[in-house]
Amino acid sequence: MKVKINEDWLATIIAFVLMILAILNILPPTLLKF
Amino acid sequence: MTTSTIKQENKTSSTWLNFVVGLVIVVLLAILAHSLKNWVYGIKDIGGGIPGKVLEYPLWAALVGLIANFVLKTINFYEYPKTGFRTELFLKIGLVLLGATISFKVIVTAAAGAIIQALIMVTAVYFFSWWLGGKFGLPDTLRAVMSTAVSICGVSAAIAAAGSVLAKKEEITYITALVIITALPLMIIAPLLAGAMHMPEPVAGAWFGGNVDTTAAVVGAGTIYGETAQQIASIVKQTQNVLIGVVAFLLALYFTTVVEGKKEKPSAAIIWQRFPKFVLGFIIASILFSIGWIPAAAKEAPFNAANLIAAMKDWAFCLAFVCMGLELSVSGIKKMGWSPVIVYLIVTVFNTVLALGVSWLIFGWLFPASL
Repeated sequence: MKVKINEDWLATIIAFVLMILAILNILPPTLLKF
Repeated sequence: MTTSTIKQENKTSSTWLNFVVGLVIVVLLAILAHSLKNWVYGIKDIGGGIPGKVLEYPLWAALVGLIANFVLKTINFYEYPKTGFRTELFLKIGLVLLGATISFKVIVTAAAGAIIQALIMVTAVYFFSWWLGGKFGLPDTLRAVMSTAVSICGVSAAIAAAGSVLAKKEEITYITALVIITALPLMIIAPLLAGAMHMPEPVAGAWFGGNVDTTAAVVGAGTIYGETAQQIASIVKQTQNVLIGVVAFLLALYFTTVVEGKKEKPSAAIIWQRFPKFVLGFIIASILFSIGWIPAAAKEAPFNAANLIAAMKDWAFCLAFVCMGLELSVSGIKKMGWSPVIVYLIVTVFNTVLALGVSWLIFGWLFPASL
């Protein structure tokens, strides 16, 4: 069965996963610099 | 295993591969745009007394995307990685991350003005565009899609309106191309004009949010002008985006009952279906930041999680701007003729001038955002 996720929710989930990884220091603060 | 199952599996793996190849292209182009920006940023005079630091990354990203678009089409390799060119997805990720850097108080303050501005702008621009489209003899479906795109937020509003009025596929493609063609130059011209008029950042941000047609270009214009302008532009545009569902519902109601003369009415559920849900993510992220769950960014080393979140936000926006250049297509415009182009350009000028007055009035005088 193919599950299609709404793009808005997908973007929100990805953003929150990235935020949690950053807050828990799983991704080091200096990993990405802009 | 049947032949059709094997074909289906091959198709799925091929789609994934297309997406990954497209994503790799976008990431490499974003790195190139970022390097170009850093390279030019340090130059004190790039000519005519203009310092290199005015050429911010949205400009480089869109330019690199446009060149790659041309190259990929020339070598016949555009269709294969196309599924990885996801302007809207990257933009929405960036906007939710942006929420984690803005105090909720700022959102509430700016949203009060943004709601009034959105109601004035959407209503005035929509009906002006609808009226002018009628004068130029455009079909009802085309002018409904165009009016929604130009008055709310470009591509996603055009798609929502097209669903409500059952517009033709080529009408959506056409309006989408027009939106990007006008938004790309506006992304650069609007901050230049704002600078020439010495506009305060909140007012400039509100102006970009009110007049530039697509959210990606609004964020780009705000980024070029300054951090506060980026925040206010994003808040104003998202407030406007929230109205997509309401307009989609009213359009569906008008077309089914008035144009098609049917008795049954469309469901109001469309208001929620078309609601941009990532706006909720943006608000929740801002609340988490305001209650201290997400720290404030450190000004200097040692850097913290907030610095990484801010950097990820900028990378997400950079990917979106690259995709904006990559996704531009002018082929649909040639098929439709010039009348809709003229209407669209006149409405864009009307939108720009009206938004200038309204944003000065609301963000300069009525609700000066305390940032």
